[in-house]
Amino acid sequence: MSHAHTAASGRLALPPDIRQAAYRLLAAALLCIALAFFSDAFFTTSNLLNVLRQTALLFLIASGLTLVILTAGLDLSVGANVALSACLSASVIKATGSPALGFLTGIGSGAAIGLANGLLVTALRIPSFIATYGMLWILSGLTYYYMAGETIHGFPPSFRQLGSGYLLGIPMPVYVMVVFWSLGAWFLQRTVWGQQIYAVGANPVAARLSGIPVQRRLMLVYVVSGAMAGLASLIILARINSAQGDIGETLTLPAIAAVLIGGTSLFGGSGTVGGTLIGALILTLVVNGMNLLQINASWQPLVTGVIVVLAVWIDTLTPRGADQ
Amino acid sequence: MRPVSIMTFGVAAFTMSLTAAYADGETIAVFTKNQTNPYFQAVRVGAETAAKALDAKVIQYIPTKPDSIPEQLSQVEDVIVKKPDAIVLVPVDYKAMVPAVEKINKANIPVVNITDRVASGELVAYVGADDYNLGLATARRLLKAMGGKGNVIILEGVKGTLTNTDRVRGFNDAFKAFPNVKLLGAQPANYQRLKALQVMENLMQAHPQIDGVLAANDAMAVGALEALEGARRKALVVGINGSKEAIELIKSGKLLASGDFNGFIQGCLGTEIAVRHLRKQETPKEIILKPVVIDKTNYQAYETPIEQRQCPKVADTATH
Repeated sequence: MSHAHTAASGRLALPPDIRQAAYRLLAAALLCIALAFFSDAFFTTSNLLNVLRQTALLFLIASGLTLVILTAGLDLSVGANVALSACLSASVIKATGSPALGFLTGIGSGAAIGLANGLLVTALRIPSFIATYGMLWILSGLTYYYMAGETIHGFPPSFRQLGSGYLLGIPMPVYVMVVFWSLGAWFLQRTVWGQQIYAVGANPVAARLSGIPVQRRLMLVYVVSGAMAGLASLIILARINSAQGDIGETLTLPAIAAVLIGGTSLFGGSGTVGGTLIGALILTLVVNGMNLLQINASWQPLVTGVIVVLAVWIDTLTPRGADQ
Repeated sequence: MRPVSIMTFGVAAFTMSLTAAYADGETIAVFTKNQTNPYFQAVRVGAETAAKALDAKVIQYIPTKPDSIPEQLSQVEDVIVKKPDAIVLVPVDYKAMVPAVEKINKANIPVVNITDRVASGELVAYVGADDYNLGLATARRLLKAMGGKGNVIILEGVKGTLTNTDRVRGFNDAFKAFPNVKLLGAQPANYQRLKALQVMENLMQAHPQIDGVLAANDAMAVGALEALEGARRKALVVGINGSKEAIELIKSGKLLASGDFNGFIQGCLGTEIAVRHLRKQETPKEIILKPVVIDKTNYQAYETPIEQRQCPKVADTATH
């Protein structure tokens, strides 16, 4: 009677992942209540949809990154990946007029960069932090050289729908977010490969000894992270209708923050894509709130920093599940 | 050693593209802040155009990490060893680069300072536009077009940079002459279009009526325009820098105006002064370019790609 035992120990009879997610949802809800209290504009349908649309972009980058961090790795090149993929796909759309070709270019370039990261980590055995940090510089260099300070702008309306369109009153990026959240959750929880990714992160030696193809799973997570950055680059293009070399410069750190606030451990083996979604939501709410409340520009980075540290600190205080 | 070699490869591949030689004669080392901002691209093209006309040679130095103080410092140290004939310098930071200027002075290499004025050091000349007056003139253009009434939002650039501080100060001072215009607020969008888009989306939630947007650069102005279009709302928008994209948007009537900082002319004049100084010709001590606001009435002159533009002569430029 394990249930009776759990109840006797005074704990909620919920799986640890769900309990962790509940704490985070609670934090997000408290933030919402506070913002609604201070600003009339906050708790409106249009602002909440606005927040979700902005969350979608951050989530897409952070979701792929979640897989990498689950393996105890890190992908510092996601922002630079977004920039190069966006610029390449923008040129292709401009040159051919075909959103489909632009799409393939964006995702293809993102995945190819992920593949390169994966090779550096698996074949050359370079620590992911350093491999992807080097990649960041290489990609930025290539992007700046390719763009030479120029801007590409003006894409066909059919392509722009992806970023700025609506379906049944809900912004398109929100649908994309829900699709990839579901896909990610299903993949990690319900497939053998997903479970193997947790195993690789928790203990790579044990994983290898138990017959898991560790190198191939590592390749997979970097390719997925790269492809998701490629997808995010397309949504950014569709939203801002232009590409410039510095487009991805400030995306990497918020994406890492979203994953960590979402409860994924930097040491690998524990975390969920749903947590990352809540992490992305919290970060987006903070910026939205600061804009609505007109918090002085000088204080905004400080407020963001304090909330990131608080979120992760509170996480260390909450009781961890039986998996630890 | 492997990680190191990966990184040096990145940097090497990058710098290779930056060190192309163009002609013989005097060697001028040109320092700019970053590869990303079209403004500095215009400075570099201006420098190269001027050098070509004078049979001099330009070598470009750009931090691989945009606006990196340590990187520009070490680039200056490297250059001093190579001994170019002269240096044209856009400091990434007007205070932090003072020691670099002192080192250049000690090495007896003449230095012309353009764009951001360094806090101290010995200069052959300074060439710049005045951010404060540029911000003021651009904001006035917007407030006039609004008929002197309505609600305005300011989108600020990177907090703490000299350009942003001065531009925003200029913006704010423009309101004094227009008492019926209400400043709803100023929020940072870090000179970036995606950030500007999202900040504008958020601000539109808080303010049902926004009539004008003052953006401290063109990229943020474009981000604000996209946000307005996405929400099917209308407001007059102005930016600063006179970028190619801004000129096209002014032509199509989407953007009201853009303040012209004219990086091309600054690059031209800085290089020309450096060469003239080396050839013992007369040079002005200081050139401050007058603020020009580009709008529907005068954008045609800016449609020529910068690569095809002619440099003005130092002698023809009025000193102030």
